[in-house]
Amino acid sequence: MDAHTDGHQADPGPCVRVMDGRKILFDGEGFLNDFDDWSEAVFDILTRERGLIRITDQHWRVVRFLREFYAYHGRAPLNRQLKEGTGLSVMELEKLFPDGLKQGARRLSGLPNPKTCD
Amino acid sequence: MKRIGLIVNGARHEFVTGPERVLLDLLRDDLGLTGAKQSCDRKGQCGACMVIVNGKTALSCLTKVHSLDNARVITVEGLGTPENPHLIQQAFVLAGAIQCGYCTPGMIMATKGLLDVNPDPSVDEIKKALTRNLCRCTGYKKIIEAVQLAGRFIRGEATPEAVRPGPGDGVMGVSHPRPSALAKACGTAQFTADIRLKGALELAVLRSTVPHARIVSIDASAAEKMPGVAGVVTAADIKGTNILKYLVADRPVLCKDKVRYIGDPILIVAADTQAQATAALAAVHVNLDLLPVMKCPEDSLRDDAIKIHDDFPNLCFEQPQIKGNAEEALKASAAVIEARFKTQINHQAPLEPEATVAYWEDQEEGEEPRLVIVGRSINIHLHLGMLQAALGWENMSYREAYSGGQFGIKIDVISEGIAGAAALHFKRPVRYIPSLTESMLMSSKRHAFEMNVKLGADAQGKLTAYCNDYLVDKGAYYSIGHVVVHRSLLMLSGSYNIPNINARARLVYTNNPWGSAARGAGPPQVNFALECAMDMLADKLGMDPFEFRLRNSLQPGQSKSTGRIVQQWCFPELMEAMRPHYERAVQEAKIHRQDRGQDRIRRGVGLGTGAFGIGGPGDISVAAVELDTDGGISVYAAAADPGEGNDSMLSQLTAAFMNIPLEKVRLYTRDTDHTAASGPAAGSRITYMIGGALINALEQLKTAMLETGSITSEELETAGKPKRYLGRKKNEDAGPLDLQTGQGPSFESQVHAVQMVELEVDTESGQVKILKMTTTVDAGPVINPQNLTGQLEGGMDMGVGFALREEYIAGKTKDWVTFKFPTIRSSFEMQTIVRETPRPKGPLGATGVGEMCMVPTAPAVINAIKNATGVWICDLPATPDKIKAALNPEK
Repeated sequence: MDAHTDGHQADPGPCVRVMDGRKILFDGEGFLNDFDDWSEAVFDILTRERGLIRITDQHWRVVRFLREFYAYHGRAPLNRQLKEGTGLSVMELEKLFPDGLKQGARRLSGLPNPKTCD
Repeated sequence: MKRIGLIVNGARHEFVTGPERVLLDLLRDDLGLTGAKQSCDRKGQCGACMVIVNGKTALSCLTKVHSLDNARVITVEGLGTPENPHLIQQAFVLAGAIQCGYCTPGMIMATKGLLDVNPDPSVDEIKKALTRNLCRCTGYKKIIEAVQLAGRFIRGEATPEAVRPGPGDGVMGVSHPRPSALAKACGTAQFTADIRLKGALELAVLRSTVPHARIVSIDASAAEKMPGVAGVVTAADIKGTNILKYLVADRPVLCKDKVRYIGDPILIVAADTQAQATAALAAVHVNLDLLPVMKCPEDSLRDDAIKIHDDFPNLCFEQPQIKGNAEEALKASAAVIEARFKTQINHQAPLEPEATVAYWEDQEEGEEPRLVIVGRSINIHLHLGMLQAALGWENMSYREAYSGGQFGIKIDVISEGIAGAAALHFKRPVRYIPSLTESMLMSSKRHAFEMNVKLGADAQGKLTAYCNDYLVDKGAYYSIGHVVVHRSLLMLSGSYNIPNINARARLVYTNNPWGSAARGAGPPQVNFALECAMDMLADKLGMDPFEFRLRNSLQPGQSKSTGRIVQQWCFPELMEAMRPHYERAVQEAKIHRQDRGQDRIRRGVGLGTGAFGIGGPGDISVAAVELDTDGGISVYAAAADPGEGNDSMLSQLTAAFMNIPLEKVRLYTRDTDHTAASGPAAGSRITYMIGGALINALEQLKTAMLETGSITSEELETAGKPKRYLGRKKNEDAGPLDLQTGQGPSFESQVHAVQMVELEVDTESGQVKILKMTTTVDAGPVINPQNLTGQLEGGMDMGVGFALREEYIAGKTKDWVTFKFPTIRSSFEMQTIVRETPRPKGPLGATGVGEMCMVPTAPAVINAIKNATGVWICDLPATPDKIKAALNPEK
């Protein structure tokens, strides 16, 4: 394939998806652009897409902590703070969210990526 | 070795030292007097290290300690302290002459040297005395004014108390001194290289000297055995992804199998001293297999070009913009011009080298230790995440030291990956204090653009259509990549109503230095083409370029190139504000021509305009505030201030909105532990977006305080309300541009400016002398007038450098002389006229101005050269050689 003609842009960029009856903007990594666009219905769709079918109280404990932390601090917690806040070990957290803490827990909970620039 | 006695700031010290040791190193390393700075690799080019030796100014980087026995040395710390500052230090603070503050100690010492012998200097005498001192932020205007003010203080004609704004002067629209200014004036503000870490390893990095090659082998065995060397780090030692992913995962912390530009990092040596680390680099053997070099986008787009990145095409992003039918409109136009424009790769040129230090913080038992990175980032939360992934270590924090200018260069991670990788590998604190030459090699650059342009108008002088097919030289790595393309397309039609647009932007990897943010980042390049094309078309139509611009102003209800209709457009009023200045300048140039005929010195007048977007599509920012126990307010926002005045903005907005004294506003802006992730402190978004989020948080707090009648945090919490509120600001016009048409969301507001250049061209030497620049600007209500005009003056100076002198050529541009850094001698008269139309969604009506200030400058300069000489220079920079060649094409 030619060096300059194999088609795709190097960065997928943002995209708009319709969820929960609304148009919602996601960034190139699949994170919500706007923390306030998250809802339980959005969470439900995103988790199903990742094959997370059975949502337990432990999942909700993590989601609630992440969202409350962000709403207070305006940023995501470090793993250490997440452990303290949920009482779960990193291993337990990663088991709950197979895509990992960032791509899994943070993304599904609607925490935005730190912004790049416009 | 020799024993030397020195009296430094009144205290006697004795040192045993070798013949090569310079005073700067002794002051900084032995005495901890870090007020004197190092920028130019000890070549005497920048003056940041200036001190007084035996009553005269001296460049401490060139002054050998051996020659100083019994000398009396005064540093900026010896002049005054924040508690008891010298009159010169106060003058610099009060004149608004301090932005990033990196040059400030040297400037202040140069001023002392002058005023000690001449307390009432003329402007020419000031320029002569400060000619060895460089500043990138101010354009030198306020520095000259600071020296004049210091003279008045010293002569007893004025006092700091009489000049300093007081509580009765109000908050908004008042030039209250920046919160950080006094520390910078007194040399107590810590920049990264000022931080000493006990037991720290010093780092040196082996970088590629060729633009494109495969790494066949690396042999560092000899280097590892050299004195003081702790070891080396290669890509194989990095536990994380080794990729610094901003938007695209393409840039390694250390190159593993390939180097892609001159400066790509290959290996780190860590040693007890920097000299040992640097010496060991010479003993590393790297076997490279050279690859074809893509010197420009055209090379990379050839059918037989090899891929620079295995995972991405050389044409890494492409976006058209189609509005109406430009080709048909051009066919029907009364006049059409065609031209090709080129802009150069350029260095942003902050004075401070790209330093990072890293150290370990103890944690509670059972916790992994925490790695703290201290550097120059303006996007600390994003950069923290990038570093965590690249280095494979989660427990980290980022702290921004005072930062010696950035102008976009710190939108991306530069030296932090190196320091972090070494700290992790050796589990020790490290300092990576690279030279200026190495800082130039490693850092991002302004993208070069090549633009083929057509612009048409009807017989009445109304624009009909605009075509711009342009290539953007991405360099070796993507960084903010398509953001630059988007910004250039979102602002493609500038100040004007252009009903038909046909544009195509192509972003292409090459083996040049990687492009990224640089003041304006895209719009200065495309606006250069548009604004020169406007003059070309006005010429063809026989119209005055001023009237032609005014006639084509966008109006509320009309749309930009993205198709978005604007509700507010403050441009015509700015043109009218410029009109008397333009008419005066044209008349003076006419008289000059009448008096001097076809003299070798020709005078010209040129215009440039700009409409710069503020608050991009879907942009969101957050900021937190807390009511304190004394009724003061703490602000938590990642908006550290590398010189633009963010600290003034946050504190003055807070004090004005809450009606509290400035002293009761506390800012927490510099580290990832305490700040809200407000987004990049860049892109002219800080006042509008972060300031907007701040006002939103304050509104919530104020409501709670009014509802409960509380004035302290204790009262508020007793009344059952929280003391902390997270505010946000969002541009609801969100989403991607249409991939086929480039139509879609745009910026929420604009800052507008018109600039006029008056200059003289020496037609024999090709030299250009800027006589004066006049700017009319409307950025909404002004928060701090000195900060606003300071940005504009520095931007004009930078824009003139972009137009006439500056270019980064990898391997050749190595220091401030080869870069052609602007000096106080090349500084020129500047005038700024301000209009203050409130923006409906801006914080207290304000927008930002940090990038707009140089967007119209280069075309205004080039249009003025054309006005003076009749020749177009469409390939920046307009060097004397290019001007001479254009004037004498037969030669």
